Amino acid sequence: MKKLAIGKIYLIFVFILLYLPIFYLIVYSFNSGQSMNGWAGFTFNHYHELFSDARMIEIVLNTLIVAVLSSLISTIIGTIGAYWIYQTKNKKIANRILSLNSVLLVSPDVIIGASFLILFTVVGMQLGFLSVLLSHVAFSIPIVVLMVLPKLKEMPKTIIEASDDLGATGYQTLSNIILPYIQPGILAGFFMALTYSLDDFAVTFFVTGNGFSTMAVEIYSRARRGTSLEINALSAIMFLVSLFLVLIYYFISNPKKGGKK
Amino acid sequence: MADIKPIIEFKNVSLDYQDNRVLHNIDLEIEQGKFYTLLGPSGSGKSTILSLISGKNSPSEGDVLIDGKIVNELPANKREVNTVFQNYNLFPNMNVYENVAYGPKLKKLPAKKIDQLVKDMLSLVRLSDFEQNEITELSGGQQQRVAIARALANEPKVLLLDEPLSALDYKLRKEMQYELREIQQRLGITFIFVTHDQEEALAMSDWIFVMQNGRIEQSGTPVDIYDEPINHFVADFIGEANIIEGIMKEDYLVSFVGKEFKNVDAGMKPNERVEIVIRPEDLDIVAPSKGKLQVTIDDQSFRGDFYEITAIDDAGNEWSIQETNPAKIGQRRGLKFDPEDIHIMRFNETEEDFDSRLESYEGEE
Amino acid sequence: MKKSSLTYYISYILWLLLFVILPLVLLLLQALTNQQGNFTLDNFLNYLSSGTYLRMTLNSIFYAFLITLITLIISYPMAYFLTQLKNHQFWMLLVILPTWINLLLKAYAFIGLLSQNGTINSTLSFFGIVPYQLLFTNESFLLVSSYIEIPFMILPIYNSLIEIDSNLIQASQDLGANTWQTIKNVIFPLSLNGVRTGIQVVFIPSLSLFMITRLIGGNRVITLGTAIEEHFLTTQNWHMGSTIGVVLVIAMLVTTYFTREGNKKGRKK
Repeated sequence: MKKLAIGKIYLIFVFILLYLPIFYLIVYSFNSGQSMNGWAGFTFNHYHELFSDARMIEIVLNTLIVAVLSSLISTIIGTIGAYWIYQTKNKKIANRILSLNSVLLVSPDVIIGASFLILFTVVGMQLGFLSVLLSHVAFSIPIVVLMVLPKLKEMPKTIIEASDDLGATGYQTLSNIILPYIQPGILAGFFMALTYSLDDFAVTFFVTGNGFSTMAVEIYSRARRGTSLEINALSAIMFLVSLFLVLIYYFISNPKKGGKK
Repeated sequence: MADIKPIIEFKNVSLDYQDNRVLHNIDLEIEQGKFYTLLGPSGSGKSTILSLISGKNSPSEGDVLIDGKIVNELPANKREVNTVFQNYNLFPNMNVYENVAYGPKLKKLPAKKIDQLVKDMLSLVRLSDFEQNEITELSGGQQQRVAIARALANEPKVLLLDEPLSALDYKLRKEMQYELREIQQRLGITFIFVTHDQEEALAMSDWIFVMQNGRIEQSGTPVDIYDEPINHFVADFIGEANIIEGIMKEDYLVSFVGKEFKNVDAGMKPNERVEIVIRPEDLDIVAPSKGKLQVTIDDQSFRGDFYEITAIDDAGNEWSIQETNPAKIGQRRGLKFDPEDIHIMRFNETEEDFDSRLESYEGEE
Repeated sequence: MKKSSLTYYISYILWLLLFVILPLVLLLLQALTNQQGNFTLDNFLNYLSSGTYLRMTLNSIFYAFLITLITLIISYPMAYFLTQLKNHQFWMLLVILPTWINLLLKAYAFIGLLSQNGTINSTLSFFGIVPYQLLFTNESFLLVSSYIEIPFMILPIYNSLIEIDSNLIQASQDLGANTWQTIKNVIFPLSLNGVRTGIQVVFIPSLSLFMITRLIGGNRVITLGTAIEEHFLTTQNWHMGSTIGVVLVIAMLVTTYFTREGNKKGRKK
């Protein structure tokens, strides 16, 4: 009634607040002027500019390669970790491991970045692609664990017993029963890892060397030198990609709408 | 009777929920100081009636009146009516005392009065020692009592109880039935109790409304409803009943299983098809020659204080009999009953017609 | 049998050792040694005796507090109204969507919006108001940081609100409470766990935001994060940087302690 009207106005207000900067970026990516001040006319020029910017293309590719690789690796290790915690009979130990697991989730980015920088320096590793990749794998593992573990826990113990009873080996039970069951959790973990990687700036900023850069780091250094509408074009593309990923994630986590299982 | 002003009144109330009519033309009157029960299977509309009184719902048609005023759209928090919920709905962020004090505090009563009210109510439900306990520390039965105290602390004119005992175990339920009845009589406020348990309804109520499919099938005192059910549904739902078809030959004479029996009902058309109700405890097993009906014992089970015996008559009807002595399965026996044990029900008789028919011939006698 | 099966889990165990425990140990070691590699408490003494460091720390905590407060004030009603909507899950997705867009891009948008001849100033001058220095101010830092943190505050509050049994709200109304009294006495106390989580996930990152202080705050606000970045990447004084890092970790642990669950109420029995 009256109360809901006030609520709706407030909701609309906050939603505008949340999306204004994003749409502002996207709208100005089509501005034929050279800055985000004043609309001069419609153009695709900044997109052409972006696609002919070899350095930017290379950096975007780097970012995607790091994101996909780190997500794959962290999904595998994270799933193994979740299974380990699930298998640990002693609740106390399992909880210890779980809180260690969460350390990187609650730590500020700067701490992760700084401590990884010390780590790579101490072991004498060259900063660059590998150090960035390892860091991304490292900070994505805990979220995968947290996505997979609930699926394992809600799996009825009886189906494993039934499989054993029917003569399956441990490996057969794992691949035929357990993995298919926890698959939604693994997929959700993978997507979370992907976004963690794409979203990261601070950790990469610490552990990247001179020769290697990701999109966020590049935007940071360009933004400090001033704005360029090429970045707006990039933002617009990134927004669409994010929207796409969110939709995929939404359908994975709400299987009643999309999936068959 | 008519000069007592009803505290709650429903005038031709109907309620639609998502294109479904869940209540049909309900008329009822609730008087001050009595214990009422809305009895019926789940989905019969009894809780819906409560929701119209409490203010959770508004009628689609007709009027709901409290104290003679139409309250159709009055929000729940403005009504002098409180509810004891099925799952108690105690506030987990407050302790026992704070839960009970919630209503009085909202009314901004003086602190002393609030304290007195809370203490009185907690002693009424025998929880005086639990003032400072957290809700989670209480058993189901204790939570139930807090819920009652909390609702009563608001000093409502009418207390609504929505299947409050259904989550308790059998023994505790029996205890609470007795206690609720006592609290109601002590405070003298109107209770409207919702249950699907006919035993509970019979034990506690001054007046029962039997409901089915959004309609009130019959209302009356527990004895009236038990002894003179209006139709098959009520007879079957309240207590155990043997219901068989028969023909009302004339006033006070009914025929079933190929025989004619004297009875005490009248007012039907000659040779009208009717249903006959005989309660299992009104049947006695006697020697075949002494019985009004001859049956073969089919089955029996021991129920603690009696035997439940099933027998089949020559027309193939099943009879349920309650006897203190066991019977022999397969044996041929007789069934004895008195004319007043037979209750006749007409098909599709409205409550109004039923009442006036009863009045007409009972007046004659 | 269980012991030998540990080999299956070796990758995860290695991760725990090499990337969770070892880096923290190394950070602490750096903080406890000097340039020559000798054990010393000088870094901490230095930190505690320096007005600049202490002021910076207090400043950082103060701004993180403000950011948390602003986001809380905006987010709580937002989360509440969201739960009142029919398809609130869909709308919640729209709240989360902006968090999937790289934070740098969002900061970048604000540079355009706030700059000297940016959109807001041109709009203001259209109404005859003199262009105003918006970017590189404390307020711009607060604005952008709060903007970025709002979804992270809304999410846990929304989750705790959605868990509240609607029957309790009905019971409160039945006992005579109006909507506002029900919110104050029942809904808010029962959503406190969500509020605590929200404070936790906003306050800690707000202590360490360094890119926003640089891009938007114009280095006027120095957070603990900015200081760490400065020491590690600009002045190359890792020992002092690690010391501040340890301070940040302690601040994080303290925050987590005070916002832990089950810290229900002060009442004792």
